[in-house]
Amino acid sequence: MNALGLFDNDYGEDGFRTCSVTGLNIHRSAENHVKLFGLTAVVALLVGGIFAFTVAMTRWELVGLLRPGEFYTHLTLHAWNLLIFWMVFMEIAILYVGGPIVLGRKLPITRVAKAGWVTMVLGALTINVSVWTAGGFPDENAPLLTSYAPLESPPAFYAGVVIFIVGAVVAALPFFLTLWRERRENPGKTLPLVAFGAFITSIIAFEALVGGLITFATTLLWRIEAISFMDPAWYRQMYWTIGHGTQQINLAAMVTVWYFITHVVGGAEVVSEKVSRTAFILYLFFINLGAAHHLMSDPVVSSGWRLFNTSYAFYGAAFASMIHAFAIPAGLEAGRRKRGKGGGLFGWLTSAPWKNPVFSATIFSIILFGFLGGITGVVMGQMQVNMTWHNTFATVGHFHGTVAVGTTLAFMGLVFFVIRTMFKRNLAFSRLASTQPFLYAGAMGIVVLMMMYAGLLYGVPRRTAEVVRNIPGTDFSLSAAAPLFALLGIFAVFAILAGVVFVLVAVGSLLLGDRVRPGDNADLRAISVAADGGQSSSGEEKPVHAYGMRGTFLVTLVFLAVFVVSYVLNWYLLTELWQVGL
Amino acid sequence: MSSPLKPPQGDWWEQKVNRRESIWLGLSGLWSLLIFGWMSGFTRFGDQNPIGETIEVEAEEYQQKVTDYMAAGEEMADGALIPPGEDVYIAGLQWTWLGTPVVVEAGTEYNFHLSSLDVQHGFSIRPEQALSKQMNFQVLPGYEWILPMTFDEPGTYHVICNEFCGQGHRTMHGRIEVVESL
Repeated sequence: MNALGLFDNDYGEDGFRTCSVTGLNIHRSAENHVKLFGLTAVVALLVGGIFAFTVAMTRWELVGLLRPGEFYTHLTLHAWNLLIFWMVFMEIAILYVGGPIVLGRKLPITRVAKAGWVTMVLGALTINVSVWTAGGFPDENAPLLTSYAPLESPPAFYAGVVIFIVGAVVAALPFFLTLWRERRENPGKTLPLVAFGAFITSIIAFEALVGGLITFATTLLWRIEAISFMDPAWYRQMYWTIGHGTQQINLAAMVTVWYFITHVVGGAEVVSEKVSRTAFILYLFFINLGAAHHLMSDPVVSSGWRLFNTSYAFYGAAFASMIHAFAIPAGLEAGRRKRGKGGGLFGWLTSAPWKNPVFSATIFSIILFGFLGGITGVVMGQMQVNMTWHNTFATVGHFHGTVAVGTTLAFMGLVFFVIRTMFKRNLAFSRLASTQPFLYAGAMGIVVLMMMYAGLLYGVPRRTAEVVRNIPGTDFSLSAAAPLFALLGIFAVFAILAGVVFVLVAVGSLLLGDRVRPGDNADLRAISVAADGGQSSSGEEKPVHAYGMRGTFLVTLVFLAVFVVSYVLNWYLLTELWQVGL
Repeated sequence: MSSPLKPPQGDWWEQKVNRRESIWLGLSGLWSLLIFGWMSGFTRFGDQNPIGETIEVEAEEYQQKVTDYMAAGEEMADGALIPPGEDVYIAGLQWTWLGTPVVVEAGTEYNFHLSSLDVQHGFSIRPEQALSKQMNFQVLPGYEWILPMTFDEPGTYHVICNEFCGQGHRTMHGRIEVVESL
C-alpha cells in the first residue's frame, strides 16, 4: 500500500510519529486509512463536480445543455456523488481522525476498515453505473436523490444503495472499537472535545444509516416484486431518516472539523467545555427529528407531529447550532487575544492567516453555513412557511448553503490540511490555492442566493429541465426569472472553476508537490506544541473564558438580526397569500 | 490551554462561562421558544396552514370520484369545468392534472381534494400576475388530501408539477380560473 510514495511517512519502531503541527501521536494504521478514504472522497468530488457543470448549464436555459431525459440522469449523479459519496468517505476519514488519531491510538481491525472501504466503493460504483445506464420511463427512471416510491428506478440502484450503506456501517466499526477500548482503559477520563464531537457524529450517523438500510432493503424487495405493496407516505417518512440524517452527519462532522481547524490553524481554544459539549448532546437527542422538514407540506402526517419534529422538539437542535455559532468564533477570538494577536474589536480576525487556504476555507464555511444555510433551514422548516419553499428552487438554495458553501468548503480546507500534514506535501500552485476558498465561497454564495430568489419570488420548481423559458403545451412560463438564471449560470461557472482549482491543487500537490521539510509547516501552526496543556512561563495563566469576546458578540448579534429579518420577511410573504387549510 | 484535542483539565463543568456567551445563550433560547410559539399559535389564528383531512383511497376509487365529479359539473366553452358544489377534485397523473382547467369563485371556500393516480406529484400553484404568490403541496397516490382554499383575487392561476414524476414531468401544467362570481 504505497502507491506513488503517498503512504510512506517516517514512523518510529512502534509505528507512531508525532505531528509537528498538532502535536498528536499518529499511528501508521490510522493515518493510512484517513488518506485512503480522503483520496476516494476527492475522486467522488471530481465526478460530482463534472455533473455540477452539466446540471447548472441546463438550468441556465439560455445554454440548455442537456435534453430533459439526460438532465435527470446527470442531476442524480451530481447529487449522489457530491452529497453522499464525497461527504460520507470524508466523514469516515474524520471519524478516524477524531477517534484513533486524536486519542493517540492505533486504528484497530484494519481489515474491517478496508472491507468497509471496498464495500462502499462497490456500492458507489453500482449506483453510478445503474443510474447512467437506466433506460428511463416507465420503470427505469432516474432516481434523483430520493427515489420516491412508487416511481420505479433500476433494481440495481436500490441494491447499490444497500451495499453502500452496509459498507459505511462496517467502515465505522473500527472507530466504535477505538472509543470502546479508550473508555475501558481510561475509565473516568473525559474525551477531548473533537473526539466527543466525532463520537456524537457517529451515533447520529448510525441512526441515519440503520434507517436507510431498512428503507432501501424494503424498497429493493418491493422493486424485485418480493413484496407487492409500497406505501408512498411510509417511504417518505423512512427515506428521510437517511435523506436528512446524512445531512445531520455532515453538520456534526463539519462542526467538529471547525473546532479542530480553528484551534490548530487559528489558535482557537474552547471557551466553555460545558457549553460546547451540551450543544453536541442537544444534537444527539434532537437533530435527527429534522428529517420531518421534508414532510411539512405533506398529507398523512398530523400537524402536532409536524410541529414537534420540525422544531427538533422546541428548537433544541437549532439552539445547539446557535451555541456553536458563538462558541467557535469566540474560541478563535479569545485564543488569539490570549496570544497577543487581537487588538481592538476585530484585530483577532484581521491578523488571522487569511492566505492559508485551510484557514480561509474554514472561516468562510462557518460564516456562509450560518447565514445562508442555517437561517434558511430554520425559516423554511416552519410548518406554514414551508408551503412557499417546498420543492421550489429555494430549497435547492438552502441545501447548497449548507452542504456546498458549508460542508464542502470546510472539507476542502481539511483536504488541504491533510495534504500538508499527512501526505507531507507542500501545496502546488500555492498562490492559486490561497485564492481558491475566496473564489469558491464568493461564487457559490451568489449561486445560492439566486437559487433562493428564483424559488421564492418566481416559484421556480426544483428538479426540472426547463420551465423558465418554456413549459411545453402552454403559453405560461416563468420567464420573469430568466435574469436570475443568467447570474446563476455565470457564477456557477466560477464556482465550478474554483472546484477545478481545488482538484488541480490537491492532485498537483500529491503528484508534483515538494515534500515537506522540517520547518515548512510552521505557518500552519498557531499553537505552540511545546506549551500545549501547560501553564505559561510567567506562572498563573488567565483562563480563556476571561478574555474578551466582544467581536464575536457583535457578529452574532448581526447574525440574529439577519435571522429575525429573514423570518419576518418569509412570514410576511406567506400571509400575503390566499387562505388555505383548516 | 483549553485545547479541543486534549481532555479538559480540572473540573471543566464548573468553569465559568463568559458573560457575553451567557447573554447569547439567553437570546438564542428565547428566540427558539418565540419561533416555536409563533408557528404553533399560527395554526390557531393564522389563515395559511397546510392542514387538512387525509383519507386513504385506492387509485381506482379516486379516479371514480373524479369521473363522477366531472360528470356532475358543467363544462364551459373553453373546456373548463364548473364544479357541481364546493368540492374541487384534482388528480395528478403522468403528465397532466386531471380535473383542470376548473373555474371557481373568489371569496368562496372550496375543499380541494388532491391525490395521484400513479406516482408522487407536486401541486405548485400561483396566480399569473404575481409569481411570488405561490404555494406548494405534496400529492401522494393512495391518499386524498382535503385542503380548504379561498381565493381572494380573481385571475388565472397556474399549477405546475414540482415533484419529479418521470420524463414528461416538466410538461405537467393545469389551470384554475378564479372569477368574481359564477
